[in-house]
Amino acid sequence: MPLRIIHRTEYLYDSSVSASYGQLYLLPREAAGQQVLGSQLLIDPTPDSYNEFLDFYGNRVANFSVAKSHAMLTITTTSRVDVSGRSVISEQQFLRPSWNDTVDILNVSADDAVLDARGFSFESPLVPMSSATRDYAEESFRPGRGLLEAVSELTGRIFTDIAYKTGVTSLDTSPDDVLALRQGVCQDFAHLQIACLRSMGLAARYVSGYLETLPPPGQTKLQGADASHAWVSVFVPGLGWVDVDPTNNCFVSGRHICTAWGRDYADVSPVKGVIFTDAKSNTMTVSVDVSHTL
Amino acid sequence: MTVTNSTNLLSDYRPPDGAFDEFVRSDGGGPRSHWAHVGTALAELGHRELLERQHEVDRQLDADGVTYNAFGNADPRGRRWALDPLPVVLDSKDWAAIESGVIQRAELLALVLADLYGPRDLLRRKLIPLEVVLGHPGFLRPCDQSAALAKGGMAPASLTTYAVDIGRDVDGVPVALSDRAQAPSGAGYALENRLVISRVFPSMYRDAQVHRVAPFFRALRRALQKAAPHKSDPRIVVMSPGPWSETAFEHAYLASYLGYPLVEGGDLTVQGGSVWMRSLGRLEPVDVILRRVDDWYCDPLELKPDSRLGVPGLVDAARRGVVSIVNPLGSGVIESPAMLAFLPAIAEHLLGQPLRLPSVETFWCGDPKSCQHVLSHLNDLVMKPIARQAGTSTLLGWQLSTSSRAELTARIQAEPWQWTAQVPLALATTPTLTPDGFESRRSVLRAFAVVQGNSYTVMPGGLLRVAPTLESSLISNQSGALTKDAWVLASEPEQLSGFWLNNGPVVEAVDPVGSMPSRAAENLFWLGRYAERAEGIVRLLRVVADRRNDFSNDANPAGSKCLELLLRALTSVTTTYPGFNDTDKVELPGDELFSLIVDVDRTGTLAHAVRHLLDAAYAVRDQLSSDTWLVIGNLDREILELRVPHVDRQGAAQNSLGRAMQSLLALAGLAGESMVRDPGWHFMDAGRRLERAIQLTALLRATLGSENDRATDSLLIESVLTTAESIITYRRRYRSQAQVQTALDLLLLDRGNPRSLVFQLERLQVSIANLPRKTEGTATDRLSAEERLVLEAATSLQLADTAAMAAAGATGDRPELDAFLDRLHILLRRAADAIDAEHFARQLPQQHFGNMR
Repeated sequence: MPLRIIHRTEYLYDSSVSASYGQLYLLPREAAGQQVLGSQLLIDPTPDSYNEFLDFYGNRVANFSVAKSHAMLTITTTSRVDVSGRSVISEQQFLRPSWNDTVDILNVSADDAVLDARGFSFESPLVPMSSATRDYAEESFRPGRGLLEAVSELTGRIFTDIAYKTGVTSLDTSPDDVLALRQGVCQDFAHLQIACLRSMGLAARYVSGYLETLPPPGQTKLQGADASHAWVSVFVPGLGWVDVDPTNNCFVSGRHICTAWGRDYADVSPVKGVIFTDAKSNTMTVSVDVSHTL
Repeated sequence: MTVTNSTNLLSDYRPPDGAFDEFVRSDGGGPRSHWAHVGTALAELGHRELLERQHEVDRQLDADGVTYNAFGNADPRGRRWALDPLPVVLDSKDWAAIESGVIQRAELLALVLADLYGPRDLLRRKLIPLEVVLGHPGFLRPCDQSAALAKGGMAPASLTTYAVDIGRDVDGVPVALSDRAQAPSGAGYALENRLVISRVFPSMYRDAQVHRVAPFFRALRRALQKAAPHKSDPRIVVMSPGPWSETAFEHAYLASYLGYPLVEGGDLTVQGGSVWMRSLGRLEPVDVILRRVDDWYCDPLELKPDSRLGVPGLVDAARRGVVSIVNPLGSGVIESPAMLAFLPAIAEHLLGQPLRLPSVETFWCGDPKSCQHVLSHLNDLVMKPIARQAGTSTLLGWQLSTSSRAELTARIQAEPWQWTAQVPLALATTPTLTPDGFESRRSVLRAFAVVQGNSYTVMPGGLLRVAPTLESSLISNQSGALTKDAWVLASEPEQLSGFWLNNGPVVEAVDPVGSMPSRAAENLFWLGRYAERAEGIVRLLRVVADRRNDFSNDANPAGSKCLELLLRALTSVTTTYPGFNDTDKVELPGDELFSLIVDVDRTGTLAHAVRHLLDAAYAVRDQLSSDTWLVIGNLDREILELRVPHVDRQGAAQNSLGRAMQSLLALAGLAGESMVRDPGWHFMDAGRRLERAIQLTALLRATLGSENDRATDSLLIESVLTTAESIITYRRRYRSQAQVQTALDLLLLDRGNPRSLVFQLERLQVSIANLPRKTEGTATDRLSAEERLVLEAATSLQLADTAAMAAAGATGDRPELDAFLDRLHILLRRAADAIDAEHFARQLPQQHFGNMR
């Protein structure tokens, strides 16, 4: 059954804004096991220019500008996505290839998919290389171990070692900081795991999307209770990209909807923009609803 | 050749062994044959005369205001461009080989650039390792075109301009040291070098038959015009980071030489999907941007988020093809030194040819074998990170200490792909003029190419840079290198092709309103105001100084009273309160007067006005006559030098004021005689008139606003008339009968007196009537805010009754005069504010939204 996602972001400024220039990574992309049935983006006030294009990674991007004075900006996306096509990983795939073989393949193969994956094995603006993350990762990557087996163990360790806590970390928080703090939100979990995987020579990317939350048994779901989410994708030769969610210690399921991927959060931040204003503060309200549709 | 000390000049020149010398043969056979003419001419001039010519070169550079701002020097005055008077001479055959090598490299790198932002075939074929591109901070993913190219209808990224630093090896073979692709600098400096050297050695230059550099700039113009694919008459601008950037001189120089507006990021805006320049009162379309801003800074939306030098939405405008950016954003990646290691194979693959201008031998450490070689030969290599980043620069292996070598080894081992190593080149030497004669210096030539149809045109010669000392082999302008003009000898007389003369249909003139950013208009307005303010302060300070000389010893009560009132007037005209309202300062005025001259950070002082005058001038240097720098170049140095202790501070200050006055008068003369009456000039003149009128009303009110005894008043009237440059006329007209009313007649109402208030207001009315209307379609019969205010002031002035105003009231003041001057003063200040509000685009502060978690 397809999922419907309504994501609304509203900015209220305490003084008028003469112009806004925005870039949105909100329209879901096609991905393995995920089919986009429809999506719509509404911006209020009506932009004077709007450009939708595919970026370097094939993500759908929408750029807009509002050149007239405004004190409020609302961005609403409504999407219908079918994620029922995700395959389950077999026992065999869990053990083969080994992570060492994967590193070798990444280094030598001229295969297009592998070359493309190698682009995700270097450090990136928000995920610098560090010895601390390598030291942390090595425990799970014993020589000859199955790649997904090791990844699965690493995911579990991050889930156990890092406490989910909002308000502690920010965009500037590095994976090293997260390791030291032992706290963070889904972006921090993802960045930390990406740093670990890349430090082992593997290719890992950052996935931005949504997670459908289930209400406690016997209760109805609250509107807007769902959230933007982020997780990790690791490249497995022969199998392709496999998504894992360190915040929830699981392989990505039928409740995850992917919108975009990149090297880290900075490549795919859902909403960003430049405004010209005297405003000292703004109020941002975000609501996300994921529900089943027909 | 005459036998004087000049022969020694040549024969004493001894370049070091083990390097190629541009001038003399290595076999001891004397000057190379293509130097024969220039060598003889230099020898005939002799050492002393050449040193004189060096002074002349420096003087010309100062007069043209040629500066280079080294990093960390946040002052637009920068430092003088360093130019050695001796040109380097290149033989035409030698040059032809270099030229063809430069063209081939430009063509090759253009193909590489188009591929990296398009199909990336070179990566797939492993001709360039992935890391070298994807790991390079200059590879800007937002500038990727692959999706758009696949869809069609989009032109691939093209390299319009290109520069390459070339050295010579021991055998004189030219070798490329580094490629410059994103915003190559130096071509404008090369043009200026040529201009100065050809002026300083007119006959030597003429007789040598040197290839001219001007045609290169014609080619640049054509290339920029062609860069806009959809327009026959595109609007082109030069985008600069501002007057504080390293090569600000060159940005303004090129803009005015090519005839394009000089803009900063804030002058441009993306609206309705197109790029516009905020010109006077309206938006003007922009089709092509010759950018001198590093690409990462060009767009805070998609590139560097905290950049204040860019234009939000610019990347997207380029993506949609509505604007052409020269060179395209993202072209910095091909400057990577790692690229040098792969160019030979790429040349074979793409062109089927070897490199005609080979690169310096380069190892990329990402290749395990190369890395091993590099680590075992660190002492003999020059280490360069693949990207220029803060904190990592070129390292000379043989200069490393044991500990820093270990540290570097560890860094390379940790991330080998981030490093390259080059085999050092014993760079060619060339003679350079020093006080001791000719000395040899290592040299590097920066050659410039610009696209021309399917190929490239190369500037004959280029910018030659030489090391600052005999021993030094590091050559960069930041480390204090000298530059030289490079003369490529023509093998046959050059055909002149016309730049200006055009037999086609009459070309439509560019609308001056649309060709000036409103920021430039604002700076011109303030240039006018500050120039007049500085002049007014100098005049008043000089009158005060004279009165002090006459009456400082208290012997004459009227004289002392007059001095006191003049000091107070100085405070109120300059609005430097409390100033001389403090009686102690009147008793001992020396320090306060000195502060009014030299205190840069105090609003109202002479130094403050001069600093702001220069800031405004530097910000619009493309709009000003090139003689401007001759006139004001030393203005603030003059004043700042006063701050060092002098034995006779007062005397030194008076001399300084005299020299400052000369500069300010010359500036006013240039404004009057060398500037076209375009909207920019009218803004400047409006500023000057407003400021003079404001100062005059303040001065009159502070001096004649109340009545004193006749002796004091007559001294005061004389001082006021002197300050207002009207004393001679007054004496001639009214003999020696000083009267308040007649003084007011001359200073307020005399239409023929260029210092009178009525003269200012009439000129002001003309100027503001010529300012562009903010919005087209506004009824022209309605007065603008500033017109209304000035008209009100002018009308009051017409109705003024100077007899009544000269009369004293019961309490010893002149209430009518005081009220009248006060009212006019306020009206004029409001008129200045109205011009500011009406014409100058104010951008609200740039902020961010989003990036929420």
